[in-house]
Amino acid sequence: MTLVAGVDIGNSTTEACVAELAASGEVTYLGSALAPTSGVKGTADNVEGVVTVVGRALAAAGRRLAELDTVLVNEATPVISGLAMETITETIVTESTMIGHNPDTPGGAGLGVGTTVDFGALGECAPGEPVICVVGAGVDFEDAAHGLNAAVARGVEVAGAVVHADDATLIVNRLDSPVPVVDEVTLVEKVPLGMPAAVEVAEQGRTIRTLSNSYGIATVFGLDAEQTRMVAPVARALVGNRSAVVVRTPEGDVTGRRIPAGSLTLAGERGTRSVAVDEGAAEIMGVLRGVRPLTDASGEPGTHVGGMLARVRDTMSELTGTEPAAVRIQDVLAVDTFVPQRVTGALAGEFALENAVGLAAMVRTSRGPMRLLAARLREALGVDVLIGGVEADMAVLGALTTPGTGTPVAILDLGGGSTDAAVAERTGVTRSVHLAGAGDLVTKLIDSELGLDNRELAEDIKKYPLAKAESFFHVRMEDGTARFVTEPLPAETFARVVVLSDAGMRPVPGRHSLEKIRQVRRSAKHKVFVVNALRALEQVAPGGNLRQIGFVVVLGGSALDFEVPDLIAEAVSGLGIVCGTGNVRGSEGPRNAVATGLVAAHALAAGLDQAVGE
Amino acid sequence: MADTGTGTRRILRLDERGTAGPGGRTDEVVLGLSPAFGDFFTKTIVDIPHAEVLRELLAGIEEQGVHARVIRFRGGSDLAVIAHAAAKLSGSGIGVGVLSRGTTMIHQKDLVRLSNLELFPQAPLMDLDAFRKIGRNAARYAKGESPEPVPARNDFMARPRWQAKAALLHIKETEFVVPGADPVELDVRFQLADAG
Repeated sequence: MTLVAGVDIGNSTTEACVAELAASGEVTYLGSALAPTSGVKGTADNVEGVVTVVGRALAAAGRRLAELDTVLVNEATPVISGLAMETITETIVTESTMIGHNPDTPGGAGLGVGTTVDFGALGECAPGEPVICVVGAGVDFEDAAHGLNAAVARGVEVAGAVVHADDATLIVNRLDSPVPVVDEVTLVEKVPLGMPAAVEVAEQGRTIRTLSNSYGIATVFGLDAEQTRMVAPVARALVGNRSAVVVRTPEGDVTGRRIPAGSLTLAGERGTRSVAVDEGAAEIMGVLRGVRPLTDASGEPGTHVGGMLARVRDTMSELTGTEPAAVRIQDVLAVDTFVPQRVTGALAGEFALENAVGLAAMVRTSRGPMRLLAARLREALGVDVLIGGVEADMAVLGALTTPGTGTPVAILDLGGGSTDAAVAERTGVTRSVHLAGAGDLVTKLIDSELGLDNRELAEDIKKYPLAKAESFFHVRMEDGTARFVTEPLPAETFARVVVLSDAGMRPVPGRHSLEKIRQVRRSAKHKVFVVNALRALEQVAPGGNLRQIGFVVVLGGSALDFEVPDLIAEAVSGLGIVCGTGNVRGSEGPRNAVATGLVAAHALAAGLDQAVGE
Repeated sequence: MADTGTGTRRILRLDERGTAGPGGRTDEVVLGLSPAFGDFFTKTIVDIPHAEVLRELLAGIEEQGVHARVIRFRGGSDLAVIAHAAAKLSGSGIGVGVLSRGTTMIHQKDLVRLSNLELFPQAPLMDLDAFRKIGRNAARYAKGESPEPVPARNDFMARPRWQAKAALLHIKETEFVVPGADPVELDVRFQLADAG
């Protein structure tokens, strides 16, 4: 009878299991544990985490360290991943042509067309003249309403107004004949005066119809075909708004510009190709597929992408003591995303959702300082330490302890920095692949798409479901059901969208609706995990054919996510694959696969272990 | 009934209309005034006329399309008590309490009295823009929206500089407390000073 501990050092967690091996080769698992990995995976810094986790696993098994015969460690190779985000479009408004923001409370409803006139000059307007009044900062709402009423009484046709303060409803409530009013235009002094303009406000719950339609603008201003072509971008920029102002100036325009974001050079076994990052994720991934398998990648110096790839390279070279030039980027994942950006030249601080490309890259080396780690561990624990087989093989062995699995089996290990996949065929042959992009990229996408600028909160949004605190005694869950509580909720959660984290409810600042946050969360997971799962399985499947895989077992920390396994299962459901979250040894869930695999392999090899070090 | 010359251009007229009852409409915010607001006192600790304070609070609520009701709380001069009483009378459950010196609080009926939705404790830092935003946020809570809290300003020097005056104002305000008295409904009118 020997007592062994299998230890899996992962990127973020170190897992262990303790088992007793009988002379017959029979394995009895006694306990398991996990702890955060100390230092970068595969380096001597890991000792602390391993000692902790072995201690905990032994405690769970009710054994002492002195009874332990052998510690089995996976061949942990350092994985470094990097993330970068590059915004590739911008919207520019010239000559203050348009105000397309959505104030909460515009006033009145309908469309008004006239010449822009400053509020102070309203008294000089001739009767019968259609005007759009521009009310600057510092004008009281009562005075504004009074002035507009007086002008109307004189016969001036006041067709609408543009206001600096949040006063639209207040003014319209005091008008004898209500007109559409757009308010909260912070730079109202920049609205060109004496120009034809149109103000449109839609009823609550509706969006504008005329100014968001190119032909609508053409009708309002009497434009010809060529001019209509020019205003088309203005109309497009206004789609979905409840209120808008369009001023017709001689040169005014709204343009969408692509920002050059540098290029990415992908070197693969089938050639080297360059792709401009601003072409978008689809193009980048298409090029990558063309040169796959990737042998190295580099970005244009001076761009975010170039900087990120250089950083990944430098970190890895420091860690392994190799030349930066010798470090090869092994995979890149590009994802299309949106970033809220302030519109250049806008008068009301408008934001536009600009296109951006998120990139994840990773390197992995086979030359981790494992011997050093093993020697240090031996010192620290006073137990024989053996370095086990290839991580992917061990993970497959561990995954096969999930009830109901069989070969050919594929595992998908969804971690924080990388997505790993391995396939074991009936013949025993295994193939594995390591891809860039996993949980950390999802967090980054959520953070930037919601404009949170708070990684920790983005992480919580990723991990937990949402709800809206509708009163102090009930929350409305994501699925529309109400959940009542007996103790009143904390005051800061009232009326807010909250994340139902393990530590309690956490309010999400900003005015995003629950539906919007949920949609961003799910699409980020889809863009990273589902895309990577398919990409990974495609690369390891026999002959690249996913249908050849019978079972897919999802493992790793991100497999504990409440919706990722379902999203993946849904994506492969049409391929006749049995897909689900692993349940290692029928009790550990998606955790402990590699640690379990190490023990199982050790039992199989029975004495054929290769002791390293000494 | 109290006529209050503001010193600037608007006169605040607050006419009592009997005991304030609970509101039936869900689209209302109740503003609870302290015992001497717009009465013995006519301006805040930094001389902002009460007429303007009340006008901005009401404008902030009106701009959101929400109805406002104003009451005077006579039974105490504690802000949390006033704001909570206003919230309990409000059909939406949202109330705002204002003290004569300018300290303000947004409250909700189901909260415990000493808690609050938003508190603006430093009266000397309150300006008209802040009062407008408080009215706006209270109305948004009433509509079930999730407003971004009004940035509460803080000045370390405000306390030593204004504490004595604040204490005197509080003592004076407390003299107008009628223990156990019911809150009364107020009719609010603003008149231009020159219009008489």
